[in-house]
Amino acid sequence: MTDFEFLSKINIGQYLPGTSPLHRLDPRAKIIIFTVFILVLTFTRSLQGLVLGLVIILAGLLLARIPLRFALRGLAAPLPFLIFLALLQLFLTPAANPADVLWQWRFLQITGSGVMAAVTLLVRFTALILTIGLATSITSSSDLLVGMNALLRPLTRIGLPAEDAVMMVQVALRFLPLLAVTAERTAKAQASRGADWSPVKGNLVQQVKRIAPLIVPLFISSLNKAERMALAMDARAYGSHRPRGSMRELLFTWKDAAAIFLALLLSAVVSIV
Amino acid sequence: MNPQAILQIENVSFSHPVPNGTPVPALHGISLTLREDEFTVLLGANGSGKSTLLRLMNALLLPDSGKVLVNGLDTREPQNLGKIRSLIGMVFQSPEEQIIATSVEEDIAFGPENLGLPSPEIRRRVEGVLHIVGLESERSRPPHLLSAGQMQRLALAGALAMQPRLMLFDEPTTMIDPAGRRMLMEQIHALKSRGVTVVLITHHMDEAAQADRVIVLRGGRLELDGTPRQIFTSAGLDKYGLELPPAEVFEKALRPLIPGLPPHIYTLEMMLEELRGIHPPPGVKTVAPHRSEIPIQSETIIRVEGLGFTYMKDTPMAHRALENTSLQVGQGEAHGLIGATGSGKTTLLQHLNGLLKPQEGIVRVGAFDLNDPGIGVRQLCSLAGLIFQNPEVQFFEQYVGDEIAYGAKQLKLAGNLRERVREAMDSVGLDFETYKDRFTWTLSGGEKRRVALASILSLDPEILLLDEPTAGLDPLTRRAIIRHLQDLHGRGKTLVLSSHRMGDIARVTDHTTVMQNGTSILAGTTGKVFSRGETLLAAGLEPPLSAQAAVILRTNGWPLPEGITCQEELISALRACLGGKP
Repeated sequence: MTDFEFLSKINIGQYLPGTSPLHRLDPRAKIIIFTVFILVLTFTRSLQGLVLGLVIILAGLLLARIPLRFALRGLAAPLPFLIFLALLQLFLTPAANPADVLWQWRFLQITGSGVMAAVTLLVRFTALILTIGLATSITSSSDLLVGMNALLRPLTRIGLPAEDAVMMVQVALRFLPLLAVTAERTAKAQASRGADWSPVKGNLVQQVKRIAPLIVPLFISSLNKAERMALAMDARAYGSHRPRGSMRELLFTWKDAAAIFLALLLSAVVSIV
Repeated sequence: MNPQAILQIENVSFSHPVPNGTPVPALHGISLTLREDEFTVLLGANGSGKSTLLRLMNALLLPDSGKVLVNGLDTREPQNLGKIRSLIGMVFQSPEEQIIATSVEEDIAFGPENLGLPSPEIRRRVEGVLHIVGLESERSRPPHLLSAGQMQRLALAGALAMQPRLMLFDEPTTMIDPAGRRMLMEQIHALKSRGVTVVLITHHMDEAAQADRVIVLRGGRLELDGTPRQIFTSAGLDKYGLELPPAEVFEKALRPLIPGLPPHIYTLEMMLEELRGIHPPPGVKTVAPHRSEIPIQSETIIRVEGLGFTYMKDTPMAHRALENTSLQVGQGEAHGLIGATGSGKTTLLQHLNGLLKPQEGIVRVGAFDLNDPGIGVRQLCSLAGLIFQNPEVQFFEQYVGDEIAYGAKQLKLAGNLRERVREAMDSVGLDFETYKDRFTWTLSGGEKRRVALASILSLDPEILLLDEPTAGLDPLTRRAIIRHLQDLHGRGKTLVLSSHRMGDIARVTDHTTVMQNGTSILAGTTGKVFSRGETLLAAGLEPPLSAQAAVILRTNGWPLPEGITCQEELISALRACLGGKP
């Protein structure tokens, strides 16, 4: 394993081509289904509901034949932060009643509701991250953009720049891996000239110190890249014709309708139990 | 208006605006008319205003004074912009920054979508263009996982899909291998035969030789305009930062020895064709091999055996970059690495200074065993210095002096830092007092390349690893860098350099390894390697002209020794054959 593979750590926007029923859904259906799921997982309070949601997402991953390890990759980066939050929940949730206290040492105490809150938090975020992982691995970014474009088009009638908004998302998605590649090159260049890039374990301050020298060159090169990309977009006539054409024509079938119906049904179950 | 003119530039001047400063003048009073199906090459030194002129042509920049008319439409009228952009396609130097969409086919569709074409027509164009550039099998891949050569094809495809009547190319051949360049030149000729006007910026004189018309800029002024023949016979090419096409340099050197050779041969193909008809006069002498084919016994300093490497291992995007690769470099040797783009040269080089750890096989550099997990780039960087492709994009200090001192500061090397920096700058021809306080971003392309070189030399590494050290430089700057490399080699440094310029490899190296699809397929003295023309062609490369010429002359019965790679060797061997002094 090398220390410099930044690209492999970016999970968002990494589409895994496939032919599963989930892959073949209409992009609009995918967007609606995943939006609903994300909302439900965010607002459901009961742990049972969240566990059920997690199971549904795992089933989805299985159905789409996405390796679990790949989907879980996105969890690696926020994990320390999540554990920190979970620990806060664990120790700082006040006891609902005296019987709730499970363990106490001076001012630190763990309560039953604290344990519940911590577990709920972890399950919720795992489910959310897996949902996003599943969504991005079965939805190519062009699918996402075509779908968004179709769903947002009515907004242009009331004067909102929906097309430009979708284009912004597209450029951002394209930029992310580009940024990772640039960071990787800069880090390699610095390491080749003696900067210390040996793996630092744990210590957050050291980690930040290590990243800091990357930021200025990354900023400068990103601005340059953005400028050149804008030129390239101009050169290819962006904005010269409204509305833009589209290579893809979407086809909404009964399968998509059924999938949305099923998703709504499952969401309802998740939020009720 | 001339109905044949697709583009008219009338007395155009342009200055680059500087926030809160005086604008930097770039072009002065340029007038120019491009006719339909004309193939024009724009030449000039780095910073002579070529890219600026190109951007004025498709209204990415607007003239300060004067007029640019595309098919009769003034670029300064905003309502003409859409029409102008649909008439003109543009391919920029760096392909990765001109790819906008997140899959290959979507990116090709980007332009036609912007023109508001109906969906079936967009799909038809995407299909057609995918076929032309040969990216059918990559259609749904995300662009950042393409190889450099494929990205260049995609950039071309994106412009072709708009079916432009004028194509502008801004140094598209800088970063690609000989096969990629051939592909691009074929595309340009195909465009021309379909009636498309082409403008190409390049530093390759052999590409200029194939044009209908050559325009030379210097300091923002149009200095020369004519056919390649007129331009290359005019005096003082040096002052424009130009040189003769390699074929013509060769012809001039050879003609005193071979009177049968006709004058003014510009292209490689013509040269080789002529040579096939040149037979030796009676009584030529056989000469001894020009240089010893027995390798000089020196201690091996780099040893790579059975190296295998996969990027993003254990992910669905895993990409095999190296497979059973070997490399042996002796102390004090100058070793060339050649191969098509994506053949693994960069990956191999990054193993040699410890940036990448061997996944399979062994890597030994000096006394270091890279298979030892405790050994990495930090230990190696003062022994083996790596200079990246386009190193100037990674500058991270403001001042030249700081940039060069960075490594020595990081490693806390002993001795006077100032002296160290001065010495490093001296060895690449940068004056310490003049340059140490300059801002890195104000330097010219050639100066930046020198600073990048000096920033590694300040660590005084025994081994220099160079990834495409001359890419993107104009001929004069390139020759200067080559001289510095020869000089460093002469002072006992071990060099390992990769390059797509076979002429540079012939000039600098004594040994060469050929890479193909991640595997080393051929290694030996540079002379031996370059005599294997067919193997090189199959690997997407071509031997330098002198090596090819030597092979042809030998088959014609000239008693030339083997292992000739550069012009000087060929000339002295021919002299010896003809009975003169070698």
